[in-house]
Amino acid sequence: MEFFLSGNEAIAFGLIQGGVRFITGYPGTPSSEIIPTAIDIKSKLDLNGYFEWSVNEKVALEEALSASFAGIDSAVTFKQVGLNAAMDPFMSAALTGNVGGFVVVSADDPGPHSSQTEQDSRFLAFFAKIPVLDPSTPKEAYQFAADAVRLSRKYSMPVMLRSTTRISHSREDIDVEKINSIAIDADFEKDSDRFAATPHFRYLLHKELNEKIEQIRFNNKPRLFFEGNVLIITSGITYSYIYDIVKKYGLENDVKIAKFDMPYPIDADALQRIIDMHKKTIVIEDSYPVLEMQIKNRENVLSRMNNDMPNEGEYTYDVCEDVLDRLGVLKKKQYAYFNPPPFIRPSLCAGCGHRSAFFAIKKVFKDDAVYTGDIGCYTLGLNLNAVDTVHCMGASISFGFGLSKAYKLAGKFKYIVATIGDSTFFHSGIPALIDAVHNRVPIVVVILDNSTVAMTGNQKTAADNKDSYGEIAHSIRIKDIVKSLGVEFLKKEDAYNVKSSENILERAKKYVENNNLPAVLILSHPCIYEKQNLEANIKIKVDINNDKCKGCKICMDDFECPALIFNSDNKKVEIDRMQCIDCGECIYSCPFGAIEEKE
Amino acid sequence: MNIVILGAGGMGVISLSKTIANMAMNKHFSVRSSEIHGMAKKGGLVEVHLKINGGLSPMIGVGQADYVIILDDKYKIYAENFAGGDKLISLKNEEKVEIMKELGSVMFANSFILGKLLKKQGTFCENDVIKVLENFKKSKENINAFKKGIEDDI
Repeated sequence: MEFFLSGNEAIAFGLIQGGVRFITGYPGTPSSEIIPTAIDIKSKLDLNGYFEWSVNEKVALEEALSASFAGIDSAVTFKQVGLNAAMDPFMSAALTGNVGGFVVVSADDPGPHSSQTEQDSRFLAFFAKIPVLDPSTPKEAYQFAADAVRLSRKYSMPVMLRSTTRISHSREDIDVEKINSIAIDADFEKDSDRFAATPHFRYLLHKELNEKIEQIRFNNKPRLFFEGNVLIITSGITYSYIYDIVKKYGLENDVKIAKFDMPYPIDADALQRIIDMHKKTIVIEDSYPVLEMQIKNRENVLSRMNNDMPNEGEYTYDVCEDVLDRLGVLKKKQYAYFNPPPFIRPSLCAGCGHRSAFFAIKKVFKDDAVYTGDIGCYTLGLNLNAVDTVHCMGASISFGFGLSKAYKLAGKFKYIVATIGDSTFFHSGIPALIDAVHNRVPIVVVILDNSTVAMTGNQKTAADNKDSYGEIAHSIRIKDIVKSLGVEFLKKEDAYNVKSSENILERAKKYVENNNLPAVLILSHPCIYEKQNLEANIKIKVDINNDKCKGCKICMDDFECPALIFNSDNKKVEIDRMQCIDCGECIYSCPFGAIEEKE
Repeated sequence: MNIVILGAGGMGVISLSKTIANMAMNKHFSVRSSEIHGMAKKGGLVEVHLKINGGLSPMIGVGQADYVIILDDKYKIYAENFAGGDKLISLKNEEKVEIMKELGSVMFANSFILGKLLKKQGTFCENDVIKVLENFKKSKENINAFKKGIEDDI
């Protein structure tokens, strides 16, 4: 069957085609569509398999890896920074190896388009000494996903499938093979020297790993395209760009491309022989110099490390064309000035409960607090000046901890308000809160609970009472978790009740200062980006009373709702009815009472 | 044929690209597309590059588009990176109002714009488009909008 599949959809098809029946992961752009596609395939074909979201990437990797120990072909998916969260079991998995196939799918985001780093997962495969496949098109992503399962099974070692935003979010017509049901048998064969290895045995496992990777290296030569005398070494999406550029400029007799489907481990001796046969060699690869670092003699190679091309930013088609122009391979046909698209500041949706929560927080703590934020939609609390730090998943609470202790060491007190979403709290906020409670750190923690992973496309969380198939799941209550830690000041409120939130926040403010203990608030409101929540949302239609509106823009600055717009003709604020969802929350934001409920 | 489609989140940029991709697949052409929609949900740009029977990569370089479909006028200057002059296809404000009035929803604007695209190119014929629109939930309205786009009679 032919489908127009995205790279992520293709990866799900490829993994399942390759025999994978156990996939776990945590959402993160650009990787988030792999698991939903697998869930869809399982439901439609009534396959026996476990494809489901996990609480975080570390747990996801351990779940999938151990399923492979029982003999089931497994995979784990996340974005590149998710791999960081899973590094501990990832590194160890290289040593223990696996029994059924085990594929680690990591989606990188050079640019970055929606990430905190531009890191290259291929480097972490290199670091762990496991093979990595780097598809150059969604079609290859489909093939390589299945190849990765086979390779992993053959060598009993984890294999990484690395994608990038351009692969994950590109589409291509792909002929998908029929997926057959397979009989699943699980049998964990005990082998404590391997699965419970002490350091002594770890040394032996490391030796085994080295032998496996050498075998694979010996067989990994590049695929060669075209017949020219300028050698371009590449892998992944940049191969596609360079291939198209060669065709566009008719460089078939000038350039030879050496493409690695597997950029680590490579047969460096074979590659060196190819390099030595060419008058000029260029290495172009997205993100980090992974292929380049494996080249034996880099002296005469034009590359990142020799500063012949940019060391940051995405290598797009245009960047590759520029680089080849600068290195004398081609003469650019057009030196067009590139107008960047107009920057539109991202903003929380009109009617988002997080905005009301931030508004209340800001009312109470003004400019007197340090606001440690976290990763999710609510990072955009930035626009309300209620987020001062955003670092990585879960860091809001631990940053609050460190800052609070630092002030204390200096003999000072500072209000610190940590904001964290529900899914991020489950992901990695809980250990940080345990530390803060145990060590009696006087910070205010506000858990912004919208009951979903909104930023990445509204995936489920551990609080859901159903799994991804609509079957019963145990709902984990955030309030019960916090309560179980012995937090004395714990309050829950609907974020839409701004006045009550303000009241609780005032009390929390006094509590942390007077008692030197943490206070936890849960400000919840369902995500109105989900259709059923929007339909069930309270309807309060508002209007601007032009007699009262002073055109001061306080509402726009402090409440920052995209549905509040300024009419520069009459110098008054207006409601953009296309965006407004009639939540009525902005009423609180006007000190002159100019935003009125419509009769 | 290289087509760039530009718009904001929620305007149907990706659905429109899938419609054109289906037209191509029905004719057994190769199709590739690339989507960038990082913070689109929060009001940002959605940019799709669509390549029919061309190349290996899904991206269209500066000046390399045959057509640019602009669904949101604030991207008009940005569109000129990819192509200029009559290769740019967009809707006038009056047209949007008329579509709203005549067809009941601005939703059908993308089918209308397909009509505008059809007139300019030589790869697809009217029936290639109708064959795909027939499978839409509101096929009648969409086909109607598409035909009006060809006639440019709004």
